[in-house]
Amino acid sequence: MIVGEQKPLEEIKAMVAPYDNFLILGCGTCVKTCFAGGEEEVATLASALRLAFGKDGKKTKISELTVERQCEGEFIRQAASLATQNQAVLSLACGAGVQMVASRFPKIPVLPGVNTTFIGILEQPGLFTEKCLGCGNCVLDVFSGICPISRCSKKLLNGPCGGSKNGKCEVNPETDCAWQLIIDRYQAFGETEKLYNYVPPKDWRTADAGGPRKLVREDLMV
Amino acid sequence: MTTRLEQILLSGQFAVTAECGPPRGANAEVIKKKGAALKGYTDAVNVTDNQTAIVRMSSVAACAHLLQMGIEPVMQMVTRDRNRIALQSDIMGAYSLGIRNILCLSGDHQTFGSQPDARNVYDIDSMHLLNTVKKMSDEGTDMSGYKLNVAPEMFIGAAENPFADPFEYRVIRLAKKIAAGARFIQTQCVYDLPRFKEWLKMAEERGLLEKVYILAGVTPMKSTRMAKYMANKVAGMSVPEAVIKRMAGVPEDRAAEEGIKICTETVAELRETKGVAGIHLMAIEWESVVPEIVEKSKLYPRPA
Amino acid sequence: MVTTRTAEEVSLAKRAFRPKITVFHCFNAADLAFENNGDCELKAVKMPCSSMTREVFLLRAFEAGADAVLVLACPEGACRHVSGNLRAARRVARVKKMLDEIGLGGGRLNIFNVTQGDDTAVEHILKETLAGLEALGTNPVS
Repeated sequence: MIVGEQKPLEEIKAMVAPYDNFLILGCGTCVKTCFAGGEEEVATLASALRLAFGKDGKKTKISELTVERQCEGEFIRQAASLATQNQAVLSLACGAGVQMVASRFPKIPVLPGVNTTFIGILEQPGLFTEKCLGCGNCVLDVFSGICPISRCSKKLLNGPCGGSKNGKCEVNPETDCAWQLIIDRYQAFGETEKLYNYVPPKDWRTADAGGPRKLVREDLMV
Repeated sequence: MTTRLEQILLSGQFAVTAECGPPRGANAEVIKKKGAALKGYTDAVNVTDNQTAIVRMSSVAACAHLLQMGIEPVMQMVTRDRNRIALQSDIMGAYSLGIRNILCLSGDHQTFGSQPDARNVYDIDSMHLLNTVKKMSDEGTDMSGYKLNVAPEMFIGAAENPFADPFEYRVIRLAKKIAAGARFIQTQCVYDLPRFKEWLKMAEERGLLEKVYILAGVTPMKSTRMAKYMANKVAGMSVPEAVIKRMAGVPEDRAAEEGIKICTETVAELRETKGVAGIHLMAIEWESVVPEIVEKSKLYPRPA
Repeated sequence: MVTTRTAEEVSLAKRAFRPKITVFHCFNAADLAFENNGDCELKAVKMPCSSMTREVFLLRAFEAGADAVLVLACPEGACRHVSGNLRAARRVARVKKMLDEIGLGGGRLNIFNVTQGDDTAVEHILKETLAGLEALGTNPVS
């Protein structure tokens, strides 16, 4: 999933302060799963902002709505009437969702209430970890199913570096050394000879280096 | 064409190189002073490339200053700060200035340095950089295959850490680095001789020691505090308890002296160790101690 | 539930305002019939487990004018839902931080572990809360 984290209240408050009324728009997909922007978080944030503005003696009307997915136009349509009744929209979706909403409502300021952090997993309750960088050319087969591009601090394709100690990364002792994990997995299924292979430099064109990416599926076009 | 360092290693003489960190500023005198202290006591001076990710005068420029003084430099190059375009361009530039030795590294992560807010590059890793320099030398082309008008021919080195984890994999990585182009290896500081020898033995069993020159890294300790810091804070460093005890066992004003003693003893033992082709002295911001260690180790004068 | 008053309680009763306190309590922890005594206006919300107290419930209680909000959970190790009381404690800690950010002060919200039937403990908690409100004053939003 796309993992996100709600921005600090102070930052959000400053962002919406110029408006007398605004809509907090939640997203019921990824950010809901990581407790950053679903229905529950919309309600909590709305209440917190009402209190914060109330304390300052400012009257603010906050509308609340959560749609299934902000990255699909079809779902955003449900927000149209509420959005147009308000001076601004505070989106609690990932960066993609915020921009999708913005493109649908060109005359209304759309503000981000969430920091999109990474593509990752729920490792255990309360712990989310990064697992993919979206490089556009998956190489998990070459690295025993562990991605060094997203999980090695130096993106080493021929690691580990000299900073691997007791299975942990020198950059953060709480982070597993991706290369230790790669080696462990290859050992587990007896393919350690693959570790001798020189992995050539990556072609980053499929990643963010190639400019904004586009995926075309003509069979799905209408 | 062979470099002086390469000639000494080829001839089977015990090589001595020393590390030299460029200044945090544009003052060439700093590098010249350090160079003057090392001249005559080392076969080549190894210039770091923004080590520990602290912004310093560039390695290329500092190497050029040393060259002007008649000192042979080993240019360190890390893949942290430059993409493949800049790296290749700087290799060509360095060669045009007369730099002939290169040490290919991935570099310390920027979060440890003076600009933790920087974005790193890591377009390629140290293995790729080795391969790139080798390709320039062997095939005369850049990474894209373009035939270069005068291709750099460098004596190529790499770093290896016999004390990092996973231990068994360290030799596999050494083999990969040799295959990628490394002709000499500079190791992490050796304090833990038994572990270092175990690593050498593993390398020998795989026939790697015939293919590469091992320069054992040595660093004299200045104080007990430094010994403890190296033991506990520096990742991939193995400092045996006995070494820390020895440092702690002398009064603080004599700690540096004890550190030099430990260092010369280590050098003596390394000289007797099969597979060690030389030493690389990393006297961090203490370059002035190098002549003393070299003399006490009876490695002075250096071959002409 | 309070029959006789100590001198301290009498002095509390003389405060300038009559504080509103909302109590979310696990019905296993304290199944008390909260009464409005002279000292404060109590509002009790019975929960099937303290962990069911969502963040927004706590905040809305303040929006509704509470000067202090309390969560009463079962003692550690005694939660019928294993760790509901621990989760409630973490959530309260989070909302306390939010209240600090809002500017209301995290001190207005607290969680206590209470054994069922321990009226004395509940009385003591209320007394402490009222004493704390002396310094905090009324909810600035109400």
